[in-house]
Amino acid sequence: MKKKNNMTRALLSTGALAFMGMATSSAQAASGESIIKDRCLICHTETGDAAAPFSRISQQRKTPEGWLMTISRMQQQRGLVISPDEKRELVKYLADKQGLAPSETENLRYVLEKEPNVVESFEPLLQETCVRCHSGARIALQRRTEDEWKWLVHFHMGQQPTAELHAGARDRAWFDIALNQVAPYLGQKFNFDTDAWQQWQAQAKQPLSGRWAVHGFLPEKGNFDATMQVTMQSKDHYQISLEGNYADGSPLAGQGKAVVYTGYEWRGTVTVGGVQMRQVFAASADGQSLVGRMYPNEDDVMGGQIKAVKKTAITAITPSYIKQGEQALLTVSGYQLNGKVNLGSGLKLLEVVSKNDNRWVLKVQASPKASVGTRHIKIGNTSASEPLAVYDQLARVEITPNDSIARVGGGGGKIPKQKSVYRAVGYAAGADGKVGTLDDLRLGYMTANWSLKPFDETAVHDNDIQYAGQIDARGIFTPGDAGPNPARKMSTNNVGNLGVVGTVQEDGKSISGESHLLVTVQKFVRAVIE
Amino acid sequence: MMITDKITAPLSQLSQSKGWKGLACAGLLTVGAVLAGCSANSSQPMSQNALPNGMQGNGHEYLLTVTRPNQLHVIDTETNKLLRSCDIPGSFGNGSIAISPDGRTAFVLSNKMEDVYGIDITNCETTFSALQSYDNVQVKTFISMAISPDGKELYTIQNPVRKLRDRFETMAPRLAAFNIADGLNAKPIRTFPVDRRITKIATQQNGEVILGGGDIKAINPKTGETRLITALQNWERAPDKWVPPDAFAMHTMGEHIGEFVMPYFTIRWNGEPGDESKADFLWGHVRIDLKTGAVENFETVPFEFIVFNWVTDPKDKDVMYGSFNQLSKHNLKTGETLNVLGMDHTYYNLNMTTDGKKLYVGGAGNNISIHDPDTLAKLGSIPLVGDMSTADLRLAVLK
Ligand code: HEC
Ligand code: HEC
Repeated sequence: MKKKNNMTRALLSTGALAFMGMATSSAQAASGESIIKDRCLICHTETGDAAAPFSRISQQRKTPEGWLMTISRMQQQRGLVISPDEKRELVKYLADKQGLAPSETENLRYVLEKEPNVVESFEPLLQETCVRCHSGARIALQRRTEDEWKWLVHFHMGQQPTAELHAGARDRAWFDIALNQVAPYLGQKFNFDTDAWQQWQAQAKQPLSGRWAVHGFLPEKGNFDATMQVTMQSKDHYQISLEGNYADGSPLAGQGKAVVYTGYEWRGTVTVGGVQMRQVFAASADGQSLVGRMYPNEDDVMGGQIKAVKKTAITAITPSYIKQGEQALLTVSGYQLNGKVNLGSGLKLLEVVSKNDNRWVLKVQASPKASVGTRHIKIGNTSASEPLAVYDQLARVEITPNDSIARVGGGGGKIPKQKSVYRAVGYAAGADGKVGTLDDLRLGYMTANWSLKPFDETAVHDNDIQYAGQIDARGIFTPGDAGPNPARKMSTNNVGNLGVVGTVQEDGKSISGESHLLVTVQKFVRAVIE
Repeated sequence: MMITDKITAPLSQLSQSKGWKGLACAGLLTVGAVLAGCSANSSQPMSQNALPNGMQGNGHEYLLTVTRPNQLHVIDTETNKLLRSCDIPGSFGNGSIAISPDGRTAFVLSNKMEDVYGIDITNCETTFSALQSYDNVQVKTFISMAISPDGKELYTIQNPVRKLRDRFETMAPRLAAFNIADGLNAKPIRTFPVDRRITKIATQQNGEVILGGGDIKAINPKTGETRLITALQNWERAPDKWVPPDAFAMHTMGEHIGEFVMPYFTIRWNGEPGDESKADFLWGHVRIDLKTGAVENFETVPFEFIVFNWVTDPKDKDVMYGSFNQLSKHNLKTGETLNVLGMDHTYYNLNMTTDGKKLYVGGAGNNISIHDPDTLAKLGSIPLVGDMSTADLRLAVLK
């Protein structure tokens, strides 16, 4: 309940897992089980049941971040005494032994990856009862017995006694609903025992060392291609060396370390250009690809999606579209590309402008009659998994994210500004010639000019546009300073309700898309899992 | 439904707030952390009858509020001057205050809503304390405190959670009765089970305690016998016509006129459920006359903006005032909004003198704004040293 303390605690514990990626594991550290026996049994008990030996501990499964949060709470609020080494070891042990199968984290990884502006929509019972103080993914990324879900409800009543009085709770029998409806529902839906987990435990886990081709995007610099050299130091502990180029040719290089939890949960820390970046990736079962997000430790909004492959593959084509009758330079990113280029019908290769290990640049001519639709480019025997779109005319532009939040910050306060990042996605009308129908052809990310506008009449009236912040040419919105602004009505903060407009030029025509941005106040608590 | 009222600094904790539904019980979350010791007070010895320190009896009215870190402030409503500030033991609770019938003792909820301290407003002396948590049981009271009409008993609603070694266990809430004469370290003399989510209680002249929770009930604090006064959450209305009421029952109001007010928000669907274009967004009010027990229910005032607290005009009971980002005046009979004054920042709370001549608007900041009820014109302000946050603004009528 002590806001300030909680904040520093949350910040500390966020740092802790990042730090775990950095530290070398001490092979001599006591095993997880003996740490539990030494550290946890002051309060927890041995049940005598070999299948679930420790009270409260043995009948939950969660992500490494999930375990970290629980153990940090034991430390900070319950009185657990544990050394940093032991804590690292125990998180690893529990995440390996009582983790989640890859399929159990599917579609929920955004919260681990700290992807901003994800709009969640769970079952109404869960959404309404539980998704208020934290994400729904924090819940859906756990597996428990029904009893353990029930104890969790009791925990909330002690931890946050006003939970039943918040809007959305005080108008119903919240505690009763949580205990007698939500917990049994979760016991079914997110049960402790699952086939997926049994199978994953039985499966042989692939080592992730080797040479990887990485394609990614970072809002400040754009697309990049790089080689990531990964060397195993001890089981599940790796050294990383990253080297490559951004699309504008400028270099990208970094060194770091990674720990792999549960056989596939890659958590890396690399220093790129002096900035500590965190890697939250999932390895595929065959150990040949890594997919996830990389973001600055201290500014997780300013990150982007990453795909790395160890086998021959095409990971990206940029731009991902070409217009009928036009010539374009296409960058094909991938690994070990070799052989003849096959572009598909209506496209002609004029020249391979350059090629190296990670990237081929092709000059391509589209015939004026090339049929509208997608092509899967091939180099040698390797096809691109993502399509190249051949189109007639840009019909509409969508802005992602569609709804977003930025937070004022700085202004003498301790909490930095939380920016937001936008990209424009182009569409052609598709075969039916009608815009906004299901068969619209997605062209991919396009270069846009960015501007802001008041979202509604109140925003006009309050002149939000003047105070709430600015957007730059890359689509990065920077909010205003924190704190009351005497120039504003009621000395309100530099909050605001804005529309973000991205405009793409084609053949002298401007086509715009729009999305919503709420600039709001700071968030004081930064949780490991929001 | 979206309301885009801008929220000013003190409410900044409401980081997610996008509207009414987003206004999670803001203040309840913002419990302070600073410990304020109880400073020795320098009051003069007093005789049995005279009131010390320049305080006046015979119905003189004092305004009470609490600020962070944890002080109780006594303001003379005649001069609008701060008379004294008393240190409250423990850390900030949420600033809830209940006043003894003689106007002399302010019972303040302290220490993260766990402990109650009775403070003599004439000299800052702590005359009563109840530390509600015990053994491994954490006991919180959400605002709800009241004193029996004879001034002998204090009632609180206790929300206990047992903290076992490796788990917590939620226990049933209860009404606890304390004997005020037990003084320091008082223990409950009786407890009776009550509903969950009670945030607002008051005693009626007949001794019953009104329980403001999901529904409004009354309990006999001697026997535990409970009766329904007005069903709100469990009202028997067609769900396709009415949205169950949402009562943001933060502050106990109405002592200047002897009533209990429970405001709530509801929606009447005149067309299809969910069709906002045809719906009425309404404030409802349940008012109970604490002398007679008479109950009134209004659903007339349109929801035009957020109002945190409401207070009845003693000169015309059809008129109520509300506070939040604006001070407003409403006719409860007709639903008409009579006047609205934009405020310089957010104020959670308001109260009036018994003669209805002055409105005091406070909470969520460090100044109390004084207004003329007729015109809402600002008459002055009373600066305080700390943030009132969610604290009550209560009127003590000193006997
Ligand atoms: C000083 C007492 C204490 C110690 C030591 C302690 N715990 Fe706990 N543990 C508790 C309490 C109390 C709860 C219930 C409240 C809560 O969940 O925070 C709990 C709950 C838990 C839960 C259930 C949490 C949930 O979300 O349902 C887990 C898992 C857990 N502890 C793991 C551990 C581990 C692992 C250790 C040792 C590294 C440990 N605890 C050490 C007191 C302790
Ligand atoms: C009033 C705010 C609030 C609501 C509502 C809420 N939670 Fe939580 N939840 C918390 C807090 C606070 C924590 C503790 C975070 C920490 O460990 O620091 C938490 C933690 C959790 C955790 C992680 C516990 C662990 O240690 O593994 C889960 C799972 C969870 N909540 C599920 C739920 C479910 C299910 C509901 C609905 C029944 C719910 N929450 C509703 C505030 C809330």
